[in-house]
Amino acid sequence: MPRRPRWRHVALAAALWLAANGAAAQSAIKIGWLSSLTGPLSSAAIAENQGVQFAVEEINNAGGVLRRRLELVTRDTASDPTKAVNFAKQLIFADKVDFIIGPVNSGESLPTVPIVAHAGIPNIVIGTLEELTDPKKYPRAFRAINTNRQWIQPANHYALDVLKRRKVAVIGDTTGYGTASAKTATELLEKAGVTPVYSTLIDPNKTDLTDELNKARAAGADVLMPWSAATGLLARLLNTRGAMQWNVPIVGHPALMAPPVKPLLNKLEYWDNVYAAGYVSTTYDAKGRLPPRTQALMDKLRPRFGGREIDFMFWWVALGYDTVKIIEHAIKTAASTDPAAIQKALENTRNFEGVYATYSWGPDARNGFPDHSIVINLGGSFKDGSYRAAPLR
Amino acid sequence: MDGLLIAIVSGVANGAVYGATALAYNAMFSTSKVLSVTTGHLAMLGGVFGAWFITALGVPAWLALALAIAVGALFGLLTELIAIRRVLARSDEHLWLLSTLALATMVSQAVGLWWGTEPKPFPRLIAQDDTAGPLDQKYWLPVLVALLLAGLLELFYRRTLYGKLFVAMSEDAFAARARGIPTDLVRAASYALAGAMGALAGFAAAQLTFAYFAIGLTLTLNGFIALAVGGLGSNPGALVGGLVLGVLSAVTTYFIGGEFQQTVAVGLLMIVLLVRPQGLFGHPDVRPV
Amino acid sequence: MKHSRPALLAALLFAAATLPWWAGNQYQLHLATLISAYWVLIGGLNLVVGYAGQLSIGHVGLLAIGAYCFAILAGAHGVHPALAVAAAGALCGLCGLLLGLPSLRLPGFYFAMATAAFSLIVTEMSLALGGLTGGGVGIAVPAFPPPFDTPQGFYYLCAGAALLVTWLTGNAARGTWGRGLIAIRDSQVTAQAVGVPVFRAKLVAFVASGIAAGLAGALFGALQSYITPDTFPFDLGLFFFVCIIIGGRGSIVGPFVGTAVLTALPELVAPLAKLGTFFYGLLLLVVVLLVPEGIGRLVEAAIRRFRPAREESVPVRPDLARLAAAIREGRG
Repeated sequence: MPRRPRWRHVALAAALWLAANGAAAQSAIKIGWLSSLTGPLSSAAIAENQGVQFAVEEINNAGGVLRRRLELVTRDTASDPTKAVNFAKQLIFADKVDFIIGPVNSGESLPTVPIVAHAGIPNIVIGTLEELTDPKKYPRAFRAINTNRQWIQPANHYALDVLKRRKVAVIGDTTGYGTASAKTATELLEKAGVTPVYSTLIDPNKTDLTDELNKARAAGADVLMPWSAATGLLARLLNTRGAMQWNVPIVGHPALMAPPVKPLLNKLEYWDNVYAAGYVSTTYDAKGRLPPRTQALMDKLRPRFGGREIDFMFWWVALGYDTVKIIEHAIKTAASTDPAAIQKALENTRNFEGVYATYSWGPDARNGFPDHSIVINLGGSFKDGSYRAAPLR
Repeated sequence: MDGLLIAIVSGVANGAVYGATALAYNAMFSTSKVLSVTTGHLAMLGGVFGAWFITALGVPAWLALALAIAVGALFGLLTELIAIRRVLARSDEHLWLLSTLALATMVSQAVGLWWGTEPKPFPRLIAQDDTAGPLDQKYWLPVLVALLLAGLLELFYRRTLYGKLFVAMSEDAFAARARGIPTDLVRAASYALAGAMGALAGFAAAQLTFAYFAIGLTLTLNGFIALAVGGLGSNPGALVGGLVLGVLSAVTTYFIGGEFQQTVAVGLLMIVLLVRPQGLFGHPDVRPV
Repeated sequence: MKHSRPALLAALLFAAATLPWWAGNQYQLHLATLISAYWVLIGGLNLVVGYAGQLSIGHVGLLAIGAYCFAILAGAHGVHPALAVAAAGALCGLCGLLLGLPSLRLPGFYFAMATAAFSLIVTEMSLALGGLTGGGVGIAVPAFPPPFDTPQGFYYLCAGAALLVTWLTGNAARGTWGRGLIAIRDSQVTAQAVGVPVFRAKLVAFVASGIAAGLAGALFGALQSYITPDTFPFDLGLFFFVCIIIGGRGSIVGPFVGTAVLTALPELVAPLAKLGTFFYGLLLLVVVLLVPEGIGRLVEAAIRRFRPAREESVPVRPDLARLAAAIREGRG
């Protein structure tokens, strides 16, 4: 075996050393993703996960951010707050991530947001409860999703001013989210000068709602406003209203028009006279077209969904996609992943164009989602991931 | 007033499900002196598998009912083989509680993982418009099945040879064995019977309870409360206990809201246990050894 | 085996005391703190389940009451945390008394169902009493004051509490009283016949476990930093119970190992986390069917096999002369 010249070995070693060092200097940017991929509230998380994964792949295929790859570290919290806390600590201290997206549910975010804030890591919040952001307590928690108020306010407006109803029945469920939302809804109604004629909290697994609806009817309610993310409960509400042959309008939470409600309905027409808060980004205009950015993302993603019609709410995908794009934008603007620089970059972000919405944060503003991106959709108008707008008569 | 009527009707229907669950408790208790934690899960299996056979496999309702009952009977049999037979042979008093708890946890979690953790609706069994109000099939089907089960069980125990074997074993298992009754076989049969009964009740009630993995635990608890209120071992007591619990829950929910349902149910249990520990129809237990 | 115990114990103590230095990162420290907080509850529950044989599957309810009590007193009312912890322990002891008084008279299955129902009632109450508990939204739990406000400091606090509980239950279990509990577990009627105050012994054990659960609740709540009714699912009560059964009844080391392994395992092995409670059910079934004494006992038996202890034989030497005299007297 002929001996190779020694200089070649040296050169090879030098090249390897350089390569290794270069890689270390440009190690991957780690994004922790606290997602409840299993458990009771998994459907939104699964859709968001599609968007998150796609954005990471797309960015990496285009060469990464600042020539560094993105590395996604996904943890399934199974909607369990204790697990969410454990995983948040694992992401912060063991995986040493640079960013954290999530958790998906407000109930899990309530304990994790302070922990992530304490560690000084930028956190993209995707829970809607008001308490999750605070420029002083959690300076690096930036919300991408709308707040609860941003859903409730337009729905109240629609019920009071468009449908011209004054006798409101507020219905919440007994989960943390349902209780808090029902309370906020009542407060906002009272601010508008309307005291609900009936309000109740229902166990999300209660199967018979006749009792509650009878009481609402007896109280003279002329509009039902349910604030619950539990699709099963909402479907039973629609079924009970139908069985009672009570044609009272229902205005409320987006889950009212979620596709999983459809197979639960006894009759499809029970989805009529239902209005729910939705997004401009996934609402067809008069000519049946979607906003161009939504359409573009949908076209890019459709092959991943097997080319079929999309059978889940597309805005979850858009939100997941945007969370990663927001991080990309922040890193590019800050030209580093230093948390303080990221905070500054996001604080100075105005009108960052995402798919789900156009975001603006500020030194004292942590809720980047603009009010005007919410629209009231028509229940039962679901088609290919999007909805039609409710009539503004 | 119409509201209260519906509340009571749905309370009676729920009470019938609790009563049917209590009947399944009794069937297993009679031959093994075991109160199985899996009892409520039998009804859960009937509902979930019934819905799965009809909606996912497109099987006609009568066949789905037969298959669901078969699934329940099979699970009852497995309970006896896995969690009871080996454990009863040991002297430790409470091992059966652990083994049935383990099996119940496994089956409910497995169904949760496979079927999903949301309640899913159960298809209509009889063509009926859903605007029938208190006359809806979802209210009277479970009541009918509970009464049917209690009646058939009574006939079975009194009129058939096999039924008499069951009774003999419930009176004194050792004496029954001494007279040549294959006690292991009779016990296994009673578990299969309880499984079939539970699944039938779960199938009939599923339009009310929905096909939902978590009703197993609720029914185990509420069925047990019905049993304790009515008196352990008494079948009429099981139905009455279920009725009392169902109507009481419905009426309190109607008047003070649904926040305290569990508290009311357990309050009932505690009052009965303090005032009349053997239940309404039970016999006081005089042999602690 | 006897003489290796102190050495093993010292090694364990040393490992626990130096953990903040050798733990790879704060996440592992967090897990160790969580195990300690759980153990405060499970150590107390062990008296009820492992020694007295009363199968309580609802201790998560007491944990929740302790956590809420601490959060409300130390958070909303500004009570000193030490006082709030004491109040949490006292309140849960009282709840244990109130729950135990009616339910400990009941036979096994009735008792298990009563405790399960108790934990469901606590969940219902924590939702219904929104003004106090924040309802479904929950409340923030304040941290402990310095020096326990750092992860290391809080770990030492929890480890110290865990040690205290171990020491107390160990002492109690070795005494007459502990033997009495074991007698109750093995046969209530026999225990009564030999003069064990059955109901009182069970009640004392249950109240003690309630106090421990209250302390554990305060520690667990502070570790979580925020609690909602979702923080205390029914499955958690099942988990505590399974830790003891798997570790082995009538032992302290066994349930401790059970707690540590079952807490850490799903965190380290992702597929197990997905199976979640199913895995605990399976583990429970396997242990009950194959090694009802618990895995801890299996390990002890294995050690004994490798190092056979000297057989202590006590020869039976009847006093024949006296016996004969007695017989004669009887005849006469």
